[in-house]
Amino acid sequence: MDAPAKAKSYVAYAAEAQTVAAGKSTVLELRFRVIEGYHVNSHTPKQDFLIPTTLKLDAADGVKAGPLEYPAGKMYSFSFDPTEKLDVYAGDFTVKLPVVAAAGEHTVSGVLRYQACDNAACYPPKTLPVQVLFTAK
Amino acid sequence: MVAVISLVLWAGWHNLRARRLALQKEQEEHVLLLPDVPQKPGDEAVDTKTDSPSPLLHKPAPQFTLSTLDGKEVSLSDFKGRPVVVNFWATWCAPCKVEMPWFEEFSKKYAADGFAVLGLADDADAGKDAIAKSAGKLGVTYPILLTDGNVQKAYGTDEAGYLPMSFYVDKTGKIVEVTAGLGPKDELEAKVKETIAGAK
Repeated sequence: MDAPAKAKSYVAYAAEAQTVAAGKSTVLELRFRVIEGYHVNSHTPKQDFLIPTTLKLDAADGVKAGPLEYPAGKMYSFSFDPTEKLDVYAGDFTVKLPVVAAAGEHTVSGVLRYQACDNAACYPPKTLPVQVLFTAK
Repeated sequence: MVAVISLVLWAGWHNLRARRLALQKEQEEHVLLLPDVPQKPGDEAVDTKTDSPSPLLHKPAPQFTLSTLDGKEVSLSDFKGRPVVVNFWATWCAPCKVEMPWFEEFSKKYAADGFAVLGLADDADAGKDAIAKSAGKLGVTYPILLTDGNVQKAYGTDEAGYLPMSFYVDKTGKIVEVTAGLGPKDELEAKVKETIAGAK
């Protein structure tokens, strides 16, 4: 067996320029994609010690951010033990960020922490830098 | 003049934002188009006999001395002359937790053959309490050892970059099987039996 090549990242952030109404409560959608063949724990894994997917965002001038809203996970079991139920994100998942922003261009920086597995093995926790760019008009 | 400078600054800022967006998009595409996606260690773990899963296969098991959760030192050489599984796991590793109760069962079932399991916690930074609690919840009573960084290098688990990984060491101290990723329970038991039977 060749040693499996290590993927550098198992999750990608789909950056997109978004425009919101200035001074009004708006929800930004932050889209992520777990690469095919892998899954990551959801924000609320069902087992102790499993590392939840968590997005930490820095404060940004002119942006009042509300609590992040994470999607519900999907149930997953390893084929060798169908009784063990995990709560995971696979494929696309969207984290919602409620904001009220002053007029202008904004960048909210942060880091997504996650821990990925495939159908039989798990990879150490990783982080993904994220920059949410949007304009309030 | 001020207007020109402002315009230049604005243009630079605007370009910076555009570049940031483009850079993130490029990173996204890079991640999604990685060519190594179809390679899954678990698939390879199902059949490790015909391939060479580790350069350590058929070689003497690297020696180590590590601390247990209660501070005692345990060496691989303490188990000289006995078949041993050296199992690397971590508190965050769900498939590790599927196979650990199986290893607990095998350690009892084949105790009369001198068979032993050593569980090497790869995430020593999680802390002894978390490791002890995690192993305890799984009903594990075989020794749990705290890794020191060197043992991962010696066994190549740091290079592989995934868990679980197990090394089956026969009575002569040679590695006779290596599993990478979770496999079926009956296959693991067959490997335990082969390890007890000795070198082929």
